Amino acid sequence: MEDKASRTGKIYITIVFLLLYIPIVYLILYSFSKGTTMTNFQGFSLKHYGELFADKRMLAIFLNTILIALLSSVCSTIIGTMGALAVHNAKRRHERETLLSLNSILLVSPDVIIGASFLIFFTALKLPLGFWSVLLSHIAFEIPIVLLLVLPRLDEMSPSMTNAAMDLGASPSQILSKIVLPYIQPGIIAGFFMAITYSLDDFAVTFFVTGNGFTTLSVEIYSRARQGISLEINALAGIMFIFSLILVGVYYLIETHNTGNGAKKSIVEVTDR
Amino acid sequence: MSKTIVELKNVYKKYDDGFTALKNISFKLQEGEFYTLLGPSGCGKTTILQSIAGFTEVTSGQVLFDGKKINDIPANKRQLNTVFQDYALFPNMNVFDNVAFGLVVHNAKKDEIQTRVHDALKMVQLEQYANREISELSGGQQQRIAIARAIVNRPKVLLLDEPLSALDAKLRKDMQYELRELQQNLGITFLFVTHDQEEALAMSDEIFVMNKGEILQKGSPVDIYDEPINHFVADFIGESNIVQGKMVADYQVAFLGHQFECSDAGMRPNEPVEVVIRPEDLVITTPEKGKLQVKVDTQLFRGDYYEILAYDKAGNEWLIHSTNASTDDAIVGLTFGPDDMHIMRYNETEAKFNHRLESYED
Repeated sequence: MEDKASRTGKIYITIVFLLLYIPIVYLILYSFSKGTTMTNFQGFSLKHYGELFADKRMLAIFLNTILIALLSSVCSTIIGTMGALAVHNAKRRHERETLLSLNSILLVSPDVIIGASFLIFFTALKLPLGFWSVLLSHIAFEIPIVLLLVLPRLDEMSPSMTNAAMDLGASPSQILSKIVLPYIQPGIIAGFFMAITYSLDDFAVTFFVTGNGFTTLSVEIYSRARQGISLEINALAGIMFIFSLILVGVYYLIETHNTGNGAKKSIVEVTDR
Repeated sequence: MSKTIVELKNVYKKYDDGFTALKNISFKLQEGEFYTLLGPSGCGKTTILQSIAGFTEVTSGQVLFDGKKINDIPANKRQLNTVFQDYALFPNMNVFDNVAFGLVVHNAKKDEIQTRVHDALKMVQLEQYANREISELSGGQQQRIAIARAIVNRPKVLLLDEPLSALDAKLRKDMQYELRELQQNLGITFLFVTHDQEEALAMSDEIFVMNKGEILQKGSPVDIYDEPINHFVADFIGESNIVQGKMVADYQVAFLGHQFECSDAGMRPNEPVEVVIRPEDLVITTPEKGKLQVKVDTQLFRGDYYEILAYDKAGNEWLIHSTNASTDDAIVGLTFGPDDMHIMRYNETEAKFNHRLESYED
């Protein structure tokens, strides 16, 4: 009975993953096609990749996107972690609940609304639309995600641990750097990678706040797709897919490295180890 | 000779919701002694510990350390250390770094850290475990590391918050010996919090019995066991048979229709009292020789003794500890000497109780 149930489970999960991955594989497959449409596969070629790398505009946009993703993730991880600390240290229950609800509202509200509100905000402040407006809005919508990933680690930490550190004479800043931050580090790393993913992924918010002359991949692909898709986009999708795989790999490496003993650096470098 | 190191003067702790955790707590701790705060959970014993350590502020009253008021000094500036109930070891550091933490935050020199961590680990007999991870240690070992970490700063007072409660029975007994030995080797004051009367009796120089935010009785383990001040203390410390009686005159007490010679005095004639007799002080004999006759109800074999539950004619329950088994449903006699009884007055304060004892004991 149990064997049968687990086998149907395996078949089910295989079908689900196939359905999810077939379109991506199909897309990437056609990036190697000789032809110019996705109707027939006309033999292997790397010409679309060649075109892509010759397309200086596309490469600049690609680099912009990565730059925005990295910069915004770093900023939002720092701000989000500080936010999580603030929520965690909130004395009263309703104070904490209010802060958390405000955070969750940002997370669940539609990107279109957030994008539109940013547009109104930037225009009202007479801020030029471009790199900075995109960066700021990416930071803004990534903060709630980081906060939500860091907070559980903080709540899981026994309060007697900070008391113990204080009891042994540690100052608040020493407690933060030597006890709290190392403890919540897995949450911070997860938050950082989630933030990168959200940034790379985002279309709606970015669409509202990019001005002339600055654009990210998702917006560019959207506007090109409207003029009829070129297989150059497929090549780009292939590269982006590999980039995502690398991200997942890096995250996995950090995770396993952390749980292993190797990552634990001594706070005092004493010789006999 | 000995000097007061910690003193609490009229300490109150009230919470916003109106709950009073501590009511007028005053006591002195001398250097080099082992003290225990004993009481049921929620009695305020941990709150006392936290107010000495600096994790909670008292509402009124003074907390003094070495003669100086420390109410407003933050925990990280107080020269005493704590062993926590859940050990609170830092999982991101190995054993050595955990123990070294107190020295590192005080910017001690590397070779000093090395020797002092080594000494502290040696004190708890885990010197070969310096490079282990916390997750690789057993509960008992984690416990010792928590102690080593707390003594590495050489505090004058060590506060221990139910440190043995998470250990199994055998290990807990072993640790009682070790803690007592450690305290004597270090020569510092231990303030130990527990709800386990056996731990308290085994290790302490002095026990403070607490209930509902108040200290009911202070005294050596023997004093508290033999001369509990009231029903609560008698019942909480050890097993006891408590019956209602009447103090006929000095050294004469009546209960269950008989009059007995006892060793207590200083009460009003015919004052209603409670009489405590410990189960191990009751001796089973024949019904004719016994001062009381009881019917055996159930017997439990406890390994080193039999615990026998019996009832007298009035329906009072009697608990007897005996090395020999009795027979179920048999009528047996119980004897006890004058010193085996302890008489307790209703609502007697600790000061009056001590005064009365002194008046006739010498």
